[in-house]
Amino acid sequence: MGEMTPRKRALLCVTGNKRKADRISCLDTLTTCTVDQMNAVKAPFPEANRDPELAFRLAAAAWEVVGLEGFKMPFDLCVEAEALGCKINWGRIDRHPSVESHVFADLKDLKIPEDILDRGRFRMKHDVELRLMKEYGDYLPVANQVTGPFTIAGHIFGIEKFCIWTKKRPLEEVKEALMTISEMNIADCKRALRSGAEIICIADPSATSDILSPAFFRDVMVPVYKNMSRKIGAPIILHICGNTSAYLPYMPDTGFDALSVDAQVDIGFAKAIVGNKIAIVGGVPTITALLFGTPQKVREAAIDAIKKGVDVLMPSCGIPPRTPLENFKALVEVARCMVYQ
Amino acid sequence: MATKEEIVNGFIKAIVDGDEAASAKWAKEGVAANLDAYELVTKHGGDAMSIVNSKYERKEFFVPEVLCSANALNAGVDVLAPHMKSDKTSEPATVILGVVEGDIHDIGKNLVKIMLSAAGFKVVDLGKDVPLAQFIEKTKELKADVIGMSALMSTTMPSMKKVIGMLQDAGIRNKVKVIVGGGPVTKEWALSIGADDRPHDASAAVGVTKDLVAKVRAERGAW
Repeated sequence: MGEMTPRKRALLCVTGNKRKADRISCLDTLTTCTVDQMNAVKAPFPEANRDPELAFRLAAAAWEVVGLEGFKMPFDLCVEAEALGCKINWGRIDRHPSVESHVFADLKDLKIPEDILDRGRFRMKHDVELRLMKEYGDYLPVANQVTGPFTIAGHIFGIEKFCIWTKKRPLEEVKEALMTISEMNIADCKRALRSGAEIICIADPSATSDILSPAFFRDVMVPVYKNMSRKIGAPIILHICGNTSAYLPYMPDTGFDALSVDAQVDIGFAKAIVGNKIAIVGGVPTITALLFGTPQKVREAAIDAIKKGVDVLMPSCGIPPRTPLENFKALVEVARCMVYQ
Repeated sequence: MATKEEIVNGFIKAIVDGDEAASAKWAKEGVAANLDAYELVTKHGGDAMSIVNSKYERKEFFVPEVLCSANALNAGVDVLAPHMKSDKTSEPATVILGVVEGDIHDIGKNLVKIMLSAAGFKVVDLGKDVPLAQFIEKTKELKADVIGMSALMSTTMPSMKKVIGMLQDAGIRNKVKVIVGGGPVTKEWALSIGADDRPHDASAAVGVTKDLVAKVRAERGAW
């Protein structure tokens, strides 16, 4: 099979073929940035979210500083909402940008401008991905992150209002709005793939079963996700925060390659439900192990996740910016010494 | 004209079903039949929200259903509020709620607010991204019984610990109970920072708050 590179390894693991790799891959397609990395490469938040040079340096820090075997752009979940006109709070060094105002009063008002990919920071994101690919692409993979349709709906309409519409409006109207949003995601991903990205991560934190019913997930989210997997044509990881256990039976129907699960989901349980139909990635708790734990605690959590069959070693959710570097590095170390053959 | 039983049952069903129009209609019937508006809201509205709570706990209801029920309750309260007599015998407990500085995720906090309001607490909502000092100022100003802080991001969790330290520095930690919540907040962590409890969800917050109010009032007496 030729020489195994982190890029090949990541692509095998993300698509559920870890046995064909020499060992498990360790990358982070969620929020990767920590204050330690920002200081190491002199590319701090909030500036690094908007300055292409700083963004490139901070994205590259995933490998250069932590040793993660892949890159991801962007660092926050506001690119789409910003391009659609939401006001953004840019945060500070240890605080991610967040959406401050909504733009559409009603489902009927939803309109995605044709030139959406030329608005806001889409262009910058794709440019940084292209530069990462040019400098590292033969060795390490680049992941393009999109904010998932349900989370964007929460940003542009207001999450409470949108939740109520899921009960009060015809389900077809709600689904149609999410489909419209997903088309923007698809166009974004297609351009990212042309810019050298090889993995797609859909981060849809708000679509959690702490908020939505499994029936809504099955009847509305699965068709929307299926539309995305059919049209994007690259390995896709879906991340949903919180406890997604109740969604697991429907996950293979999305057509996605991998599901990234939060700390509330037991990896062994997830594997038992989905079998080999979709890879399960994540597994290392961001709060108890990575943020407040020790390198030893991270190693134990990582080994536990591997024992339970996790396909890619990854933090269970976005990494808190104050996570100590030594804890993050401990995650990579475990992957490096787990050899299958 | 509808009987009291029909009105009460209709009102409760309208709230559980999340039907705003029906809730307002039964509230109007209640006013026409001269029912006690205060009792209709706190007792029967509270009963309805308890049913909603248990359905939420049993995973028959999810957040959208709870929000619809809360809106239905509010539609009834809008009709009944002008008819509510304020000669209550016992002073309702005051609860201050807020999402800590740096965090703008307030859906969980809003659910807690709905639940506590329906249960008869006087809830003062400081909103989201609340400067930490404001928790201390408002606690003193309103002579609060319980403070509820929420953080949905692990990055903002440490602020809760700071607020508890600030209460200590102000010499009022023993005058008020502190509950914390939000996705990443575990009970273990809550207790380690000196909070009094971490209800596992919005519906559990009602029972926990009732217990803590009884406790703080017994320990502290009046402010």
